[in-house]
Amino acid sequence: MSPTDKRTTDFGYQEVPLDEKASRVADVFHSVAARYDVMNDLMSMGIHRVWKRLTIERAGVRPGHQVLDIAGGTGDLTLKFSRLVGPRGKVVLADINASMLNVGRDKLMDNGVGSNVEYVQANAECLPFPDNSFDCITIAFGLRNVTDKDAALRSMARVLKPGGRLLVLEFSKPNNPLLTKAYDEYSFRLLPKMGEWVAGDGESYRYLAESIRMHPDQETLKSMMEDAGLERVEYTNLTGGIVALHRGIKL
Amino acid sequence: MLLTPTLLLAGCERTLNALLARDPASPARLARLSGSRLLVRFEQPRLALVLHYHDAGIDLLRADDLDDRHADAVVELTPETLSAWLGGTSVEQLMFEGKLAIRGQVHLLEATRTLLLDLDLDWENELARWLGDTPAHSLAEGVRRAADWGLRTRDELVQDVAEYVFEEARLLPGRQQRDVLRDQLTALEVATDRLEARFKRLDRRLRAGARQ
Repeated sequence: MSPTDKRTTDFGYQEVPLDEKASRVADVFHSVAARYDVMNDLMSMGIHRVWKRLTIERAGVRPGHQVLDIAGGTGDLTLKFSRLVGPRGKVVLADINASMLNVGRDKLMDNGVGSNVEYVQANAECLPFPDNSFDCITIAFGLRNVTDKDAALRSMARVLKPGGRLLVLEFSKPNNPLLTKAYDEYSFRLLPKMGEWVAGDGESYRYLAESIRMHPDQETLKSMMEDAGLERVEYTNLTGGIVALHRGIKL
Repeated sequence: MLLTPTLLLAGCERTLNALLARDPASPARLARLSGSRLLVRFEQPRLALVLHYHDAGIDLLRADDLDDRHADAVVELTPETLSAWLGGTSVEQLMFEGKLAIRGQVHLLEATRTLLLDLDLDWENELARWLGDTPAHSLAEGVRRAADWGLRTRDELVQDVAEYVFEEARLLPGRQQRDVLRDQLTALEVATDRLEARFKRLDRRLRAGARQ
């Protein structure tokens, strides 16, 4: 066995071989893809729509822009971006998971989205696009599932045009101890049960709660983005820090 | 608190698009506007909004750091101008009076008013989707009859009260009596003016006689 094979990474609270995480995450999302939107609404009581809306507002996307929505899943952001970029622009919905991409494509087609959206099954760590291709890149609730986050951020910075923006919407660390306690109770006790009842898969939602705790906090992610070559990195805590929206610019 | 404006805007957008979806004239109007962006800067409260038109409705987005160059039209609104504009005052008149500053494609503002204020909601059709054609039509007919009855009853009530107050109880003067009173008061005013003028003339004559 080569030394690379012995390296491990987190999969929730478990340590798994580095090359196993992607397939394990894929299994989680294959399992929940069909009920993903329902569960998102249920788990967040609909607030995820407002978080995503704020991301769209901060993205500053205009007609003619090229936008990459990584880990775009069921296409919530892509739907709005496709209207904002208009026929002269382009939105690429990228996800590593084929099941999520299929659900997203069906949903977008049902909503009349057509010619200005492309679907790409891609790994965020090695994006299959030329350098300086996109005016805006978003990754909403996807970065924590990536095995090598630094590589993914570097890859995103590479394909971003100079002056382009990267927005990372991700679960983070609440800044209030009382909220942290309530949030822990909710996500470790109630969430897996809800997952079991609605999506028929409690384990996937246990992974969700664990992966959130293993994800870097606001300041760490900010410095990771700066290390990847982004500048003017800033973040906004949403709903008491349960979620944070990071934004960096490639200069 | 940070999410409150976003939440309110999302609510407005959803309501607006739901209303537009129920107006038979909206698709054609939206198709003409599709792809355009109107940047509205409110002075009070200080807020910049982008109205991005698409075939299915309008996207409302906050645009605090949006450059004017990236909008097809930019309009600056005060609360007074907004109410005058919504009240039907023409864009040209408001611009001529110096109350409205607009740059870019001016017709977008007029088209927006037409889109938002000339809504003719086909609510019976929406009801039919939930209840079925026949029950929805019966319910709509019932509502229309009730509304007609309400309007008729209100008119009759106003008429009856007016007749009682003016004609029967004579608590207030009627329009005709008021007109007669006004004419007589006018005649009295003219007569007192004449009398005053005569007194002044007499006074002048007496003073002139005393000096001689």
